[in-house]
Amino acid sequence: MIDRSRKPAARLARLVGLLAVAVLAAAGCGDDDADTGSGGTSGAPAGVDLVKDGKLTNCTGLPYEPFEFEQGGKIVGFDVDLVDLVAKELGVTQEVIDTPFDGIQSGADLNSGKCDLAAAGMTITDTRKQNFDFSDPYFDATQALVVKTGSGISDLAQLKGKKLAVQNGTTGQEYAQQNAPDAELVVFEDLGLLLTAVETGQVDAGINDNGVLYDWVKDKTDFEVSKEFNTGEQYGIGVRKGNTALLDKINSVLSTAKSSGEYDTIYERWFGKKPSS
Amino acid sequence: MATTRRLTRRQRARLIRGAQYGIGALVVLVLALTANWGRIRTAFFDVDVARGMFPEVITIALKNTVIYTALGFGFGLALGLVLALMRLSSVGVYRWLARGYIEFFRGLPALLVLIAVGYGIPTAFPGTILNRNIAIMVALGIVSSAYVGEVIRAGIQAVPRGQVEAARSLGMSPTRTMIWIVIPQAFRIVLPPLTNDLIALTKDSSLVLFLGATQGQYELTQFGRQELNNAKSLTPVLIAGVCYLIITIPLSGLSNRLERRYGSGAMTRGA
Repeated sequence: MIDRSRKPAARLARLVGLLAVAVLAAAGCGDDDADTGSGGTSGAPAGVDLVKDGKLTNCTGLPYEPFEFEQGGKIVGFDVDLVDLVAKELGVTQEVIDTPFDGIQSGADLNSGKCDLAAAGMTITDTRKQNFDFSDPYFDATQALVVKTGSGISDLAQLKGKKLAVQNGTTGQEYAQQNAPDAELVVFEDLGLLLTAVETGQVDAGINDNGVLYDWVKDKTDFEVSKEFNTGEQYGIGVRKGNTALLDKINSVLSTAKSSGEYDTIYERWFGKKPSS
Repeated sequence: MATTRRLTRRQRARLIRGAQYGIGALVVLVLALTANWGRIRTAFFDVDVARGMFPEVITIALKNTVIYTALGFGFGLALGLVLALMRLSSVGVYRWLARGYIEFFRGLPALLVLIAVGYGIPTAFPGTILNRNIAIMVALGIVSSAYVGEVIRAGIQAVPRGQVEAARSLGMSPTRTMIWIVIPQAFRIVLPPLTNDLIALTKDSSLVLFLGATQGQYELTQFGRQELNNAKSLTPVLIAGVCYLIITIPLSGLSNRLERRYGSGAMTRGA
């Protein structure tokens, strides 16, 4: 009798003990993360702290062809190549994390220590600069409009009462909100869904950066980029606020690549021509 | 006698309970000490941001969440009933079709079904302009019908055999027996579990954001995320979460009440 009643109790006690250990271990891990995040230990050279040892983690939103997209099971693109140069300089390898763009551009991903940097075809804006730091500009872009060929839509004013697809958290969304008050803006999570909606006619037009739209229409006969808006945007690589060690490294890699011609080679690989400037 | 025992049963129980409370307190203490309360306060409880969300969070977001859920659940209920009857059919093909459907859609993430319907149908049938509400109704309906079908089937099978026998011996046809005797009683039995499915679907309706939405079409999650984007604050997420609870907690209460009134046991007393 006594034995039988003691067994469950013993088992329970063991379980409780295990639980306690697990809780303490979890709490301990939390502390470790916090330490690395705020800049203590890490095995990277030249005083650059990385969130993951031996990896340069890049937060980006896929697909954003030709800047970052999947090809043959690998994530490739213009941004990916540039970040690879930085990784090589640091003697580590790049790890790409695919994450919704609104988390990238709000600074949440960088400041929470999810990634070291964000190379995501991202325009440098004042609002974004308040939340994280940008590298020197590495790409010129403007907003552009993609429509069905022959639709006759070549400006925002013609979209009155029509559906205009925008991507969540992008400068295109912001531009459309300010300049297309009469259009019905439909917000999509990523470029892939946005372009599918354009292609299947669920929306009348889509707005996004010129680079990706030209890339998309280049092998489509029934869609065209009908307008560029000359917003004069420039892409920058984002890093956590105050991470100057990494920022300096990125800037020096970018300027070396530009003077050595390596930047031009990468540019030509993804855009099929040399940069115009 | 009990002199050899170190602890009485009651003492042991008290000791174990004490240990459980202790661990609970420890966890709360560790979390409270490691959290950054200042940041939590500014990020989650920004009154100005919260105020800016009204009244749209109710008049648009909450309303749309309810509409999308109702559309999906209505469709799911109808389809689920058909599936349940097919599952119990004497025709083998029907049984297998229903079985396959349920296994297939119960095993798929709701998000994939939503994307398959919203983007797959217009791609497969070029030129189709999908009405967004219909896409939502079909996609969420497909997801919920797989669960609802199984719940209703179990309910039908739980109706006492004597009910069918009595109806049949009064000269009712099998179809009439099913429609007028079995299904009404089955619904009484399955009301509580159906409410659970409804609550689950309320939360799944958040995935609708992947279909793309205009401002008037935002539901709670997308509305919260848009506000998060604009305000760079997590407060909108908190508000959206509270709004979900405004829907789901009364539903839980309803489910509990139905369970007490009609749940197992009430049946035999009533019959």
